[in-house]
Amino acid sequence: MTTNSNEVIIKVEDLEKQFGGMESKALNGISTEIHRGEVVFIVGPSGSGKSTFLRCLNLLEVPTGGNIYFEGINITDKKNNINLYRQKMGMVFQQFNLFPHMNIMKNLIIAPMKLQNKSREEAEATAMELLARVGLDDRANAYPNQLSGGQKQRIAIVRALCMKPDVMLFDEPTSALDPEMVGEVLNVMRELAEENMTMVVVTHEMAFAKEVASRVIFMDSGTVIEEGTPDVFFTNPKSDRLKGFLSKVL
Amino acid sequence: MTEFFAMILQAIANFFINLKDRFVFNFIEDDRWKYITDGLVVTVEIALCAVLLGILLGFIVAIIRTAHDMTGKFKILNFICRIYLTVIRGTPVVIQLMIIYFVIFASFNVEKILAAFIAFGINSGAYVAEIVRGGIMSIDKGQFEAGRSLGFNYAQTMIYIIIPQAVKNVFPALCNEFIVLLKETSVSGYIAMQDLTKGGDIIRSRTYDAFMPLIAVAVIYLAIVMLLEYLFGRLERRLRTSDH
Repeated sequence: MTTNSNEVIIKVEDLEKQFGGMESKALNGISTEIHRGEVVFIVGPSGSGKSTFLRCLNLLEVPTGGNIYFEGINITDKKNNINLYRQKMGMVFQQFNLFPHMNIMKNLIIAPMKLQNKSREEAEATAMELLARVGLDDRANAYPNQLSGGQKQRIAIVRALCMKPDVMLFDEPTSALDPEMVGEVLNVMRELAEENMTMVVVTHEMAFAKEVASRVIFMDSGTVIEEGTPDVFFTNPKSDRLKGFLSKVL
Repeated sequence: MTEFFAMILQAIANFFINLKDRFVFNFIEDDRWKYITDGLVVTVEIALCAVLLGILLGFIVAIIRTAHDMTGKFKILNFICRIYLTVIRGTPVVIQLMIIYFVIFASFNVEKILAAFIAFGINSGAYVAEIVRGGIMSIDKGQFEAGRSLGFNYAQTMIYIIIPQAVKNVFPALCNEFIVLLKETSVSGYIAMQDLTKGGDIIRSRTYDAFMPLIAVAVIYLAIVMLLEYLFGRLERRLRTSDH
């Protein structure tokens, strides 16, 4: 299902992140390219730096070294206003992070209205259309605390999609969910992937990665150990560390 | 022994028999009730203005302090804010009131009510600042990240996402601060303002009856606070609509 174009959306050059007070680097010189339409999964043991890497892509974590280019613009350069580029990079969090003081519709339309100068009607129309696609159009007036975890995460995905992003970043989107709710969230992600949305996904859902990914990256101790298409990655791993990891999680 | 009880009963009876006369003497004669009503107006004026100034100052200080904690910017402003908090919270409000009126405004011809409103506003601002800062810090970091990840800048994230939730969380503490502020204005008499407390005290000095004016003043404060509690309660319920 992969339709990779050669257009690079995100280019990462020698990315480093050193947290204050920590001896070793969380990210130790990572370089990669993410192409339009690609669905990149990042897997690895906890503490491997995969979430840090994802959070660096939209500068929620500020890298201590290296460069990140988003659609050709060096966003690690302080002269470039990151807020503009974040609008084009949707992010979905493990803990959903919906705004509890707003109802669902307000959650979805506030950013398009305030940041993209959309009219309320226009923003609501987009939001309703996307809500319908994830099967939650009847909950537009509910508040986040009235929803289940799976519903919240689907809303969080819609909230990011309402900004019409060029890339979606998923930070362990199903890790905080009850097992019976994982499927509904993965279904939404699968549909996105089928529509050729560019996605970077940090997850522990190996079966899902095998099924949806166009490329899988294995990280450990802040470096990329191995990467490849899912069939090669899962059936024919080269490095011992990946073999060890897969034997534990598969 | 029975004589003693009879005396006490007689005293209690006299108290009630005289009640109406004393009421007339304390409040009706010479229109003395005007001390109470005029004082009430002054008290409410000072408290209302001071609350607004306190909220304004408190939010500014809280936002500077949290911005400093989160980003490391505004070092000098943060330092000034910390001095403000330490000095204001470390000295009695009545001393601050007198310093502002008798020292700082000594050479200006400033209305007393202006001095009082500034003094109580600056005082309240310090407490509001720490309440609001606590509220902002109580909001999960993920809320801030969600706002930033959508493309909101720091200020927009604060205004649309963090502060509305923070205010809701600290609303009871803020209401408490406003009630305290209202009652603290009772020291305005120190700069010869005729507020509610002073009004009652003037009546006492005219009639040599402490009971009537002081109880009346106490009842009025109580009534205002009960009214505030009722209004705050309704407001709080409206703020809670999202917590089902």
